[in-house]
Amino acid sequence: MTAVVASVLVVLFGPVLQAAVVSGLPLPGGGPDIVLIAVIALAPVLRPGAGALLGFAAGLAADIAPPADHTIGRLALVLCLAGWVCARAGADGTAGRRAAVAAAVALAATLAGGVLAALLDGTPWRAALAPGAIAWTTGLAALVSAVLAVLPRRRTFGRVPRSRDARPGRRRLA
Amino acid sequence: MRAAGRRVPALLALVSAALIVTDTITPLEPLRAFGSAVYGGLEDAAAAGVRWASGAHRLERLERENARLRAELLAARGARPSPARADGYEVVPAHVIGFSRDGTVTIDAGSDRGVARDMTVFDGDGLVGRVLRAGPGTATVQLATASGASIGARLAGSREVGLVTGVPERGLLRLSLLNPSAEVRPGDRVVTLGSRDMRPYAPDVPIGTVIAVEPAPDALTKTALVRPFARLTALDLVTVVLGPLPDAADPAVDAPEDTGKSHSGKEKKD
Repeated sequence: MTAVVASVLVVLFGPVLQAAVVSGLPLPGGGPDIVLIAVIALAPVLRPGAGALLGFAAGLAADIAPPADHTIGRLALVLCLAGWVCARAGADGTAGRRAAVAAAVALAATLAGGVLAALLDGTPWRAALAPGAIAWTTGLAALVSAVLAVLPRRRTFGRVPRSRDARPGRRRLA
Repeated sequence: MRAAGRRVPALLALVSAALIVTDTITPLEPLRAFGSAVYGGLEDAAAAGVRWASGAHRLERLERENARLRAELLAARGARPSPARADGYEVVPAHVIGFSRDGTVTIDAGSDRGVARDMTVFDGDGLVGRVLRAGPGTATVQLATASGASIGARLAGSREVGLVTGVPERGLLRLSLLNPSAEVRPGDRVVTLGSRDMRPYAPDVPIGTVIAVEPAPDALTKTALVRPFARLTALDLVTVVLGPLPDAADPAVDAPEDTGKSHSGKEKKD
């Protein structure tokens, strides 16, 4: 239930936060992609199908939220795949492993998004694959995922672990 | 059940691809209008909340006056060296409330305040861009440095005509002069050429200064790099030109002088 509420919040406020706050910050080399980071951080607690749906919805929202001016579906495609991969990787494993998965997915998604931007919308390659934006997104995705991997253990400390945590090897169904 | 785990993502990826193809063939404007209505409102509320919290709420009146004065100043500045008519504009002030990596920004004035597509947007320093599409309460503005932007321009001194296009990866502009033998040197001011009814660009809005003349790739055009006057990465208060003033639009009518009211940059009453 918490995951559903968090997903709705990401879809509704992720693009707003990105446009109104993050993209306006004077960060060197372009800012991070908050929506992508949120999807990567949240998808591991979802089933693969739900992770893909979250990515698709958040990506489509980022595609149509003003002032976006690019081909609709571009971010939906990339984030749908990113959400699916992260959901399949799951919320198990150490903080280091989750950070590594998050960083790899963030890097791949940012590069894929940049290539699509250059091919579909004629963005110059140097702007589409801005190293600053890639570094910010990858680094923050790894950091947020590592923090989230550590936090819930502290919260459930001393409680009966949920069924998900009890069977780490089980593949969840969509 | 393993197959079901793959069916949903595959379906969504296909839907995304279908959206991309559809949007490439026929732009999905209804979807964008929906996005403007929903997310524009949220961005507007977020930005307004931040402004209210920081006490800028009381500055609204001053901002309106500021926008009117800026338009007046711009009209006065343009009128002197220019043979083109720049009698003043009907303007509306707006805040920039959203940024994007697509070379666009959101402003908090939309069709409810008379903003429509292809209107000029400038700030206190110079040209910002043009309105790309207007939602109910917000509008999307394409910056002059966007990769798709192209603006008719003049050199302020010699009145040579050219075209300004964006160099987004460097935040600069490239001026291509139609006359290959035109004199251009660093420090020259570039202004907009302007079109009929001031759409998409009003005449004689300062764009930027020439910072370097590029070596000519051919003898047909002359190109130079231009640094925009407006700080396009740190925009806040901007002015949208709705069109010429109603009384200035028809110069043939010799209307009596309107006492107490300025001819330049009269603000739209809403």
